[in-house]
Amino acid sequence: MTKNFAMFPIIVLLTLLTAPIIIMYVYLVLDTFSNTPPGALFPTSFTLEHWRFLIDPSIAGNVWIPTLNSLIFASCCTVIVLTISSTGGYALSRLNMPFRSFFLGGLMVLHAFPAVTLLIGIFLILNFSGLYNTLTGIVLVKAALTLPLGVWIMKGFYDAVPWEIEMAGVQDGASRFTVWRRLVLPQIRPGFVALGAFAFLEGWGEYLLPRVLAPSADFRVLSVFLATLSAPDTANYDFSLFQAVGLFYTLPVLLLFLIFQNRLMNIFNGGTKG
Amino acid sequence: MRTRTSLLGLAFLTPTLVLLILFFIMPVVFTAYFSFTNMSTSTGIGRGEYMLTDTLLRRLKSEGLSQADVDAVSRETFTVDAAGHDTAIAAGVDKRFADDILDNFAGQSFSDARDFERALRGLRSAPRSPRAVKEAARAFTHSALNTRYRTPDELSAVLTAVAPEVEEETRDLIVHRSYTGHVLTTDNFRKLASAPDTLQLIGNTVLYVGLTLAFFNVSLGLFLAILMFYLPKRASGIFSALWLLPRITPMVLYAVLWKWFTWDSGFLPTLAAHLGLPSFNYMKGSIVTAWITMICSNGFVGASFGMLLFSGALRSIPIQQIWASEVDGANRWQQVRRIILPQMRWPILFVTSYQTLSLIASYELIWLTTNGGPGSSTTVWSLSAFKTALFNYTGNLQYGLGAAMALVLVVIGLVASIFYLRLFKFNELLTKPRIEF
Repeated sequence: MTKNFAMFPIIVLLTLLTAPIIIMYVYLVLDTFSNTPPGALFPTSFTLEHWRFLIDPSIAGNVWIPTLNSLIFASCCTVIVLTISSTGGYALSRLNMPFRSFFLGGLMVLHAFPAVTLLIGIFLILNFSGLYNTLTGIVLVKAALTLPLGVWIMKGFYDAVPWEIEMAGVQDGASRFTVWRRLVLPQIRPGFVALGAFAFLEGWGEYLLPRVLAPSADFRVLSVFLATLSAPDTANYDFSLFQAVGLFYTLPVLLLFLIFQNRLMNIFNGGTKG
Repeated sequence: MRTRTSLLGLAFLTPTLVLLILFFIMPVVFTAYFSFTNMSTSTGIGRGEYMLTDTLLRRLKSEGLSQADVDAVSRETFTVDAAGHDTAIAAGVDKRFADDILDNFAGQSFSDARDFERALRGLRSAPRSPRAVKEAARAFTHSALNTRYRTPDELSAVLTAVAPEVEEETRDLIVHRSYTGHVLTTDNFRKLASAPDTLQLIGNTVLYVGLTLAFFNVSLGLFLAILMFYLPKRASGIFSALWLLPRITPMVLYAVLWKWFTWDSGFLPTLAAHLGLPSFNYMKGSIVTAWITMICSNGFVGASFGMLLFSGALRSIPIQQIWASEVDGANRWQQVRRIILPQMRWPILFVTSYQTLSLIASYELIWLTTNGGPGSSTTVWSLSAFKTALFNYTGNLQYGLGAAMALVLVVIGLVASIFYLRLFKFNELLTKPRIEF
């Protein structure tokens, strides 16, 4: 394409549009390392005191326990989503079975369906099954709600595996299961990485489910920790502290995203909600 | 071969199916069922019990139950038995006295409090104070009132014993009404149809979804995508990463950022104070600013969806068309107007319909930021359903009414998803078509 347009005005326009995002995230980092006098726009002095919550539990409570809880929660979700999607996706992509097109259609409906409307029904089911207020309960719910997307993505990756690989395996006398485990699974490792990173991010960022379905449980995940910390009824709120805790909470997300950027973009392109 | 394959397929699919049935299909069924009940905190979630209370009797009386019947069923009798003895000791009655009562009157019944107390006072070990005697007597009281019965028959039997003169029909009515559990009813939908709040909720939801879509998810998304399309790769990479930030940031932190941006001591009010503009808590201070905050905070997340999808669609436009137009001397605006926009019709329709569905159902961010306020000016349907059923400060959760509100969304969601599935042939849009076996 020729450059028959001026780039400068476009950059300025984009910067203006993006200004709120730039300001929010620049100050998110800046404020945690500095002090700003009340009424001023720019910080005046450098300090590390906002990060003292990492070692001093008297400021906001012990932050490491919620961190560990979040890690456990997100990892469990990831493992379940990966395991179940990898078999479910293969079945839908390659295996011959009754009602296959019905399952496929149903999966796509669930994929578009706003699952958050089911929260009341899920709440009652957890209550009946005794899983309310348990880690198992919210892990299962979170995994189940991520599953339609997970199966869909894995199916996409399986679809891309050349059919000849499987043919060769079956010719050599291997069972379909062996073919799947020894020949096909290694082929879709990129899918595993992408979906794994995605499921972990989903679990790590989840707030609603732990807050509503396990409110008084003895494990508190980091998102709930941050939300209670920054609740509006806190008498003298300290934004720098919230921002520091929030940045601490988000760092793994940013790191994962930077590492797996291209693969995650494929999933985001695949149409997540929101 | 064929059967083995299909068995393996089913085995492979089973875990998926189990989780989906548990947490997708069953919640839908439950939501539908519970929306036709009056289930709430006071009825409890499990099976109800039968309990006669003063409140219920008062209500029944106002509905025409005779005073004589009310007196009869609330009558107290006194029976001396081991259970009463234990209750008396637990209530702090002197052990010797309690033992005496059991020894002397075991199995006897008194229908009048005064007779029973007189009999008690006759005992050698009876305490002096009349109050202590009354207290001891109370432990042996039997009444149909304020006791939980598991089945209607149990309560009916007790009522027959206490008030034999009450007619069977009346008794059945009382037993029926004393059920504390949830009952089937269509009241939820009637309430929704008649409450004036409903109209405001629908209005708010339509306005919120419409404005967010119009300004951000579609317009801004398309605008960003077109700008990125023309910019050199490095610049467009930076800006698309920036616009993706709100999407990948955990919702809680994103809400904190908006609080920092709009609260009294936050960035915008401070900036406004410097410029001499009105400075207050924009998120909750006034209806207009609360709405702007709500739409912008949701829109900044939503815009990236449109941007990503439109960017993909733009890349699939044959570049030769752009080149050809340049040879013909078209400027950028003409390219956008005549070549790009006409080919964006389907992606725009897709983003609009897909995002309408997710916006109607999303409330997490609104809950975390304006929380529906000030007043209920930014409360949308889904937030209201959530708060009615699962989260309010009064603690009286109305599961039935909330489920009815959620059912409306579930039905919209299901119908729309199935419709979109037909309309867009999802798999062609979401992934490249690949060989199917």
